[in-house]
Amino acid sequence: MENNHKVLIANRGEIAVRIMKACRKLGLEFVSVYTAEDSSSGHVRLARETGGPKSLYRISSYHDANELLSVADDAGATAVHPGYGFFAEDFRFARRVTERSRPLIFIGPSWRVIRELGDKINTKRLARSLGVPTVPGSDRPIYDELEAEKVARTLFDFQLQQGVARPLVLVKASAGGGGMGIEEVRDVDLFRSVYRRIRNYAMRQFKDEGVLIEQRIRDFNHLEVQIVSDRSGKNPVHFGTRNCSIQSTGLQKRVEVAPGFDPSSVHYDFDAARVLEDITGHALAMARKVGYDNVGTWEWIVTRDGHPYLMEVNTRIQVENGVSASIARVNGEKVDLIAEQIRVGLGEPLGYTQEDVTFEGVGVEYRIIAEDPSANFTPWVGNIERFSWEEHPWLSMHTHLPPLSPEAPYAIPTEFDPNLALAIIWGKDLNEVRERGMDFLEHLVLEGRNGKSEGLKSDVEFLKQNTARMLRF
Amino acid sequence: MEWDKQLQQLSERLSYMRDIFPEKHVEDMSLLGLQLDELRQGIARGTVKDPREGIESLENLFFFIECKLEDKLTPMDKVRIVRHPQRVCLRDILENVYDNYTEIGGQDEHTNDPAMLIARAYITRRRGKKVYNQSVMVIGHEKGHGEEFRNGGSAKPWGNAKAQHYMQVAETEGIPIHAYVFTPGGDPVEDYPGAAQQIARNIYEMAGLEVPVVAIFSEGGSGGAEAISLADKRLMFSHGYYSVISPEGAAAIEGRLKRGERSSSELIERCAADLHLTADDNVRFGYIDRVIQEPVLGARPYHFEFFRSIRQEVIRATDEVVLSVRGPASLRAMALRGLRDREINLDDMYVRWNLSKKARLRLVEKRQKHFLRLSEGTYFSGRSWWKRVTDEWSAKCSEMYNKLKHDLYLSKRRSVSNALEEANAELDILKYRLTAPWRRMRSAFNRTPKPLATEEELTALSEWDRTQERGDWTWVSPKAHEDRAVTCPNSALHGCMDLWAPDLYNEFAGVCTTCGHHFPMEYQWLMFNCFDDGSMSEFNEEVQAGNPLAFPGMDERLATAREKTGLRCACITFEARVEGTQAVVAVLAGAFRGGSVGAAEGAKFVAAAERARRKRFPFIVYCHGTAGIRIQEGTHGVIQMPRCTVAVRRYVEAGGLYLVIYDTNSYGGPVASFLGCAHYQFAIRSSNIGFAGPGVIKNTTGRDIPPDYHNCYQALARGHIQGVWDRRDVRTNLKQALLTMGGRNLYYR
Amino acid sequence: MLDVTSLLESIKAEPYTEMPVRAPHTGVINFAGVREGDRVMGPCGEWKEVPGTRIATITREHNPKPVAAFDKGVIQVLNLEMEGHFVEAGTEIAVLRHYLSRDEVVRIILRKSLQLFCAPERAKYYFVPDVDKKVKISGSRSVTVQDGMELFIVSRMKREVPLIYHGAEGVIYEVYFKQNENVDAGSPLIGVCPPDQIAQIEDVIARVQMDWTEAE
Repeated sequence: MENNHKVLIANRGEIAVRIMKACRKLGLEFVSVYTAEDSSSGHVRLARETGGPKSLYRISSYHDANELLSVADDAGATAVHPGYGFFAEDFRFARRVTERSRPLIFIGPSWRVIRELGDKINTKRLARSLGVPTVPGSDRPIYDELEAEKVARTLFDFQLQQGVARPLVLVKASAGGGGMGIEEVRDVDLFRSVYRRIRNYAMRQFKDEGVLIEQRIRDFNHLEVQIVSDRSGKNPVHFGTRNCSIQSTGLQKRVEVAPGFDPSSVHYDFDAARVLEDITGHALAMARKVGYDNVGTWEWIVTRDGHPYLMEVNTRIQVENGVSASIARVNGEKVDLIAEQIRVGLGEPLGYTQEDVTFEGVGVEYRIIAEDPSANFTPWVGNIERFSWEEHPWLSMHTHLPPLSPEAPYAIPTEFDPNLALAIIWGKDLNEVRERGMDFLEHLVLEGRNGKSEGLKSDVEFLKQNTARMLRF
Repeated sequence: MEWDKQLQQLSERLSYMRDIFPEKHVEDMSLLGLQLDELRQGIARGTVKDPREGIESLENLFFFIECKLEDKLTPMDKVRIVRHPQRVCLRDILENVYDNYTEIGGQDEHTNDPAMLIARAYITRRRGKKVYNQSVMVIGHEKGHGEEFRNGGSAKPWGNAKAQHYMQVAETEGIPIHAYVFTPGGDPVEDYPGAAQQIARNIYEMAGLEVPVVAIFSEGGSGGAEAISLADKRLMFSHGYYSVISPEGAAAIEGRLKRGERSSSELIERCAADLHLTADDNVRFGYIDRVIQEPVLGARPYHFEFFRSIRQEVIRATDEVVLSVRGPASLRAMALRGLRDREINLDDMYVRWNLSKKARLRLVEKRQKHFLRLSEGTYFSGRSWWKRVTDEWSAKCSEMYNKLKHDLYLSKRRSVSNALEEANAELDILKYRLTAPWRRMRSAFNRTPKPLATEEELTALSEWDRTQERGDWTWVSPKAHEDRAVTCPNSALHGCMDLWAPDLYNEFAGVCTTCGHHFPMEYQWLMFNCFDDGSMSEFNEEVQAGNPLAFPGMDERLATAREKTGLRCACITFEARVEGTQAVVAVLAGAFRGGSVGAAEGAKFVAAAERARRKRFPFIVYCHGTAGIRIQEGTHGVIQMPRCTVAVRRYVEAGGLYLVIYDTNSYGGPVASFLGCAHYQFAIRSSNIGFAGPGVIKNTTGRDIPPDYHNCYQALARGHIQGVWDRRDVRTNLKQALLTMGGRNLYYR
Repeated sequence: MLDVTSLLESIKAEPYTEMPVRAPHTGVINFAGVREGDRVMGPCGEWKEVPGTRIATITREHNPKPVAAFDKGVIQVLNLEMEGHFVEAGTEIAVLRHYLSRDEVVRIILRKSLQLFCAPERAKYYFVPDVDKKVKISGSRSVTVQDGMELFIVSRMKREVPLIYHGAEGVIYEVYFKQNENVDAGSPLIGVCPPDQIAQIEDVIARVQMDWTEAE
């Protein structure tokens, strides 16, 4: 790999810190950005301390591609790392970055891949064409009421045959996203009214009447397969599975465990090892088919009786990448997935095959967030005065918080996700990870105060409660 | 004392002359002024022996110089004569030309628009001892000798609406209309019903008005004049003007002035000459039928002889119109010949002015054909004689074919199939009733088992015929190849982020993703992305815009426009399909001289309307942008307003579906006539529609207008247009429009 | 009732504000030829359709974007040494010395005399859609608020929650927040005028209009 690249970090907070560290590890220069609101964030401090010349710029918004690219030009950056969120899955940004008159390398999949897999209908059809199981239901937008009703009826019958006691059907606007324009149907006779409501909503919102009709699956495990591939797109490698079933309301992940299942210490009613093998196999097959050329995640639903269904593909590095990295070894060595992403993103071949990747032990990631689990996980806003923990060899903490004291507190900016830190804990088996996890959480100190002098609220208690539940169905 | 009145009159004549010739003929003026002062002082001191003789000789000198100057009148001098507050106005004419009248459109300032005057009047004629009072509807602009509230004779939209209403009244009553055009132009106010919209309605109305209409021009300012002047006979005062734009307006455009700057008087004078706006010019062009000679240096209210000649001429014109369509064709010519004698007094002769039903139709047909023939030969038709002959023949043949197909075959077939359908429906009901008991029995015994739901059906890949997706455009703007960011004009209001040109002009179709603002796109975008691929076939592409007035510098400018755009004129006409439906389409491309309309564009438009009528196709006009009538063509341009509207009316009345789509900026004559008269008009979002653009409004009225004054949503709220379309949905919306406003039967009644 | 006279006196003692002009975004700056000591205009015209005097142009991604004076005043400081350089967002490029206009004095006084409803926390605020439409179409003074009415949407951390208005009934006389901009906890959102005080308030405004002479 050429070492004269300079990477623009088009992100903030924890991921910006991790990209900076990965760049330094690889011997690359970087340039970081921040907004006025975010100037006390740890990534600004780190950039100031460790960056070279022209490595830190104040911009008006992280959401404005023009700001990022004008900074890239002034700083002489040659590549852009989007992190997660913001522009990570925006194929237009990736296209602009690579097709502008002063092109940059987009450290992420090529824009065509992002576009193809960013569309849920596309993804579903691609999966079905390869025989990858997807949630039963339509795989194209349905415009005709009679056809829609027929699909819904078949879905109800199908679920009854499968022994589902209370079948549910999901109607969603095919052009929608982010939880808008989705409704459940419990009774087939009510289907038409729901269908019409969604169709009219879709017409108003997206100028497209198409709806998707799917089975609604309840009480499932949420599994992910981590894929890494180089620019050739021919040699994808998986880095195992993760289980992200422990979520707050609103499907926000809080605890992630790798591997996805642990048949050695937990009993499942189905062949868990087989499921893991299947979903990694399917993910690799799809990645090969589209020529996937960077890191990505295949998200799966696994039902209580062990049926996996592909949900979606995330064409970016994810928050929880560290937990997969904690149990994976390449030729026996530890691995940093972000560094791998930058390395292959800049065009270096992967350099190893699936046989070289081995797995060891169990990892867990806790997301430490200032929020109130008793009040629907609403974010808590205020000043953090104390944040400390016991260091252990089995623990790695990722945080963008600067060193704190009651005299120099950190004000949580209101613009962004309220994540404070990620704690990744490794153990040789599930029991050890649980013990270490509880140990870590017991010793964690997190204090703060808001404008009304109320104490900081966090999800630590929630994490403790759920530690025992890890990987259990 | 006793001579004061005559002296006063002379000094008024002098100041009138000074007004007409500002800073010109200074010697003559000072000579007259000197003589007048001398005489006045002389009389006052008593040194003049015979004041009467002195005054008479001075009057003779005045007359001599007036006659001398009359011969030297320049076009701009005539414009000043017409604008002078002492010029005859409509009230003077009503008093002196007609024998009796009642104002019915309001009185003085107690009317919705004091600039538009309506009166019922009659003219008394005698034959032997018998007296006839012949009623007419007098419609016209009132300048009121400079009365402030008359707005200088600029009619507001509601004034024109009033005129339209009384035209309909005249039609109901079967009396002729005398329209007096005394306007510098329409007032560009866009309150309901909207300046452009109402003028368009007036022109459309007059194109089919079934009573004789005679228009008399004194001051014919562009669109405002056209609102009441689509007439069977058009007369004009010899010192009047009839023009596309005021000389000052032309000078502002020619001199490329910014807001608030004034152009030099030489430039204005030159523009007035270049515009060819005098009565003689317009008679030569064929847009005016006859000139009424005025007294020296223009008619003023005390020129009673002039009113007599107006009276004779309007009677003659009305008689001619009536006689030319009444009775058996063989007798008409003879009757007309009788009128040609200028010596006879028409007051002592009587011609009935009412018309039979058939004569009324002949009248309208004659008027329409007359206007369709105007302005021929003022552009390059580009067709060889051979092509002209073959085109004519193929037009005739297809006319015959379509007549046979649609009027005979299809209508018969439709009535037969309708009858069959009804019979079948009856049969079905009967069958249903008869078999009801049997079905009941069967359903009671034979419960069909539900088919098993197959997993296959729900989890395997289904068939999906992907239709054209958004963001996948056939034609992409060259602007999409530049690497730059573009700022949305609404960014301050909606916080829109800068868009990258390759995204904006390609995938987004020029639409801001935050606020939906539509950036202007080239005319090709809609042309190629709206109609079916490969379905376009252009016709009349050889027609080329000319320079009929030999306007200085125009030939070069046209050549540049041709080179830049690859077009020969601003109008592109072609046949194309919209989702399988055949249509005739005319595009006004803003790229060619601002989309301005001249004789060539008018000719192509008329031909397209005619073709659509012949072929029974819907007629779609995409107005990508138009700055108005091409001023450098003068009245050759203005005449396209009534002319194209006549073509539209003929097409619509034959049963066609006429649909207009506006994009970017559309102003001026075309909107105030053949575009604005459409029953179905739609606009692309962020487009502006109006009578006069913001700069023109500021220049002519001095008013500042709000930035969104001409926005398409204002036009929608006012009822001018029927809908605002997103550019990306034009194709679907157009299909929808053809389905709902046309119908299964080829969009044809 | 508040003492308008003394309030006016205190404003008259300090009739200037100094306002920094900051780069709204990154890019390469070119000054527009104005000099220190020059008089500049803010947006003017009946509909504010004429933009303010251009101070500089900042070119970003081949897109020259003007930086205009947002209010009238005199340029006190102009950082001309930045000419041709890349500037970060928020960099101060000039300082404007602005003499308070009548309207601004009225606003200052209104802020003291209206019933203020303040932001409970730092967040972005929006009116609920119904009210928003009304405000945009016929102005805020067409909206009457009552105690317990759902008036705002608080947007923070990508979550939106409704906010209920508490306070006296009346019309929204002034709006103090802008769309898409954060409001600090405790800053006023709207100024409400109870119907029985409208006459009084208008009286105060009339007094300011008479008493305050605008310097140039």
